[in-house]
Amino acid sequence: MTRKLPRIRNLPAGMTVLAALCGAVALPPSLAAEAPRTGAPPNLDLSAPGIAWAGFVAPKEPDYAIARLFNDFASPATGLGPVTDDPAHPYANNEVAREMRTPPTYRVADLNNPAGKNLMPWVREALSKQNELVLRGRNGESREARCWETGVPAFHLNPGLMHIIQTPKEVVLFLTGRARHIWLDVPHSANPKPSWYGESVGRYDGDTLVVDTIGFNDKTFVDSYRTPHSDKLHVVERFRLVDGGNTLEVAFTVEDPGAFYQPWSGTRNRHRVMAPNSGPAEFDCSAANDDYFNIGLEPVPTAEKPDF
Amino acid sequence: MKIVSGSDIGPLFVLSAYLAACSLASAAPDISGTYWATSYSPKIRVLGGGNPPLNAAGMAAYEKNQAGLKNSSIVDKARRVCVPDGLPRVLATPYPFEIFQVPVDKVTFLYEMNHQVRGIVMDKPLPSEKTLIVDPKYNGHSIGHWDGDMLVVESAGFNDVTFLDATGLPHSDEMRTVERIRKIGNQLEDIITIHDPGMYARDWQARFVYDERNDVRLEDYACNDNHRDLSGVKGVQRH
Repeated sequence: MTRKLPRIRNLPAGMTVLAALCGAVALPPSLAAEAPRTGAPPNLDLSAPGIAWAGFVAPKEPDYAIARLFNDFASPATGLGPVTDDPAHPYANNEVAREMRTPPTYRVADLNNPAGKNLMPWVREALSKQNELVLRGRNGESREARCWETGVPAFHLNPGLMHIIQTPKEVVLFLTGRARHIWLDVPHSANPKPSWYGESVGRYDGDTLVVDTIGFNDKTFVDSYRTPHSDKLHVVERFRLVDGGNTLEVAFTVEDPGAFYQPWSGTRNRHRVMAPNSGPAEFDCSAANDDYFNIGLEPVPTAEKPDF
Repeated sequence: MKIVSGSDIGPLFVLSAYLAACSLASAAPDISGTYWATSYSPKIRVLGGGNPPLNAAGMAAYEKNQAGLKNSSIVDKARRVCVPDGLPRVLATPYPFEIFQVPVDKVTFLYEMNHQVRGIVMDKPLPSEKTLIVDPKYNGHSIGHWDGDMLVVESAGFNDVTFLDATGLPHSDEMRTVERIRKIGNQLEDIITIHDPGMYARDWQARFVYDERNDVRLEDYACNDNHRDLSGVKGVQRH
């Protein structure tokens, strides 16, 4: 066992030659070269080797308009958008702080703009309480920073690298150790078990992946302002490549007759980056994330009793 | 009796070797799919029977872990706050898991429990010794290659905060493992060899078998959540 496995450094070159030779003769079907089947349309291949989708790529020069979308949704050109920051307490995320050389802040939600007024009273009240906590210097961390499952659409907010696996049966989104399944070409279950990411079913509409998700539990927030939702949450996402294939646009619409008066929309773009040494990977958010300084951090998910 | 001469079988051998090589070059064996064990044992079962061959240091560490788990001075973080289990404990999972062979340069294992991910980098060497030391992982760094129908996975660069099983079986951060994984009919077999001279007197193996279950969808998993029914998996005791 101390014996090293065979060195296979020269394999790729050898394989190329072999593949070329093999292609030169007709082989029985079982031996014929078979391209990996992703089931994806040609213009929506999101799972090529070495590719990752970054939620943020720093601009060469400081640019507030770009930096402010480090970990936020973009609002739609028209119509109701996501909750945004209170102009009296502008939000400076870490990237804004870095680029603009200002202190970073926590999020305080604007409850008086159209997005704020679209919230049902219990949602407004929850956000109002959250705003008070933040203004007292408490509970400003996003739910994700406290290692909770993020839900949808908040799943998209993380600025890190998303890896995507496409198979004919499903599309799996991997981001910071979390995985979200989108089941292709199947209807919703009659009674999906309530879950953190809900039941996502998808289909390719031309070069767009359209994903419909229901069956959420009511334990997540739709954004990093901690805007709650009910178990009636329904999210439709449209994934497509723009900008010559360099940008993955995720445009989504959120409706929840238990939380929002009207549906609202947002967009989150990801950027194609070459990251051959990265891939879906383990993540141990809760390993060393206790409230060491007793500043009232939300506890990380903890099992009172072991699962089994 | 006709004696087959070398010159007779020569062309045949060349052709079959050529075809075999072509099949290797063009299409890796397909082990992708969803799998689920039908039994669970908190104590790892050594292939061939007996107990893991702990050396003196290993014995001392095991006794310390067992006592600590019993009096709660040691926390089983994989169950308490749901960090990854580490090898080979993750292989004992009573929850389903899924294997992907897209993109083609990796084989990715996604486990329902704690949504653990293992990325097996294909046909590349392990990262440098320095990387293995400064960037240790719960499930180690893993590389793989195909040996016929067998996926051979070598892992190293483990952190030292995991147990090899739910009883607190220890390992050092110098542990290395080799897994030989293959499909046998509708089952998947993973035989893992543990090499850890810091804790064990000799290398030893364990075997894990799973049923192919493409009828099962992986579910979300979060610590302290309402988890799936495991009554179909023998040996699971829910707390």
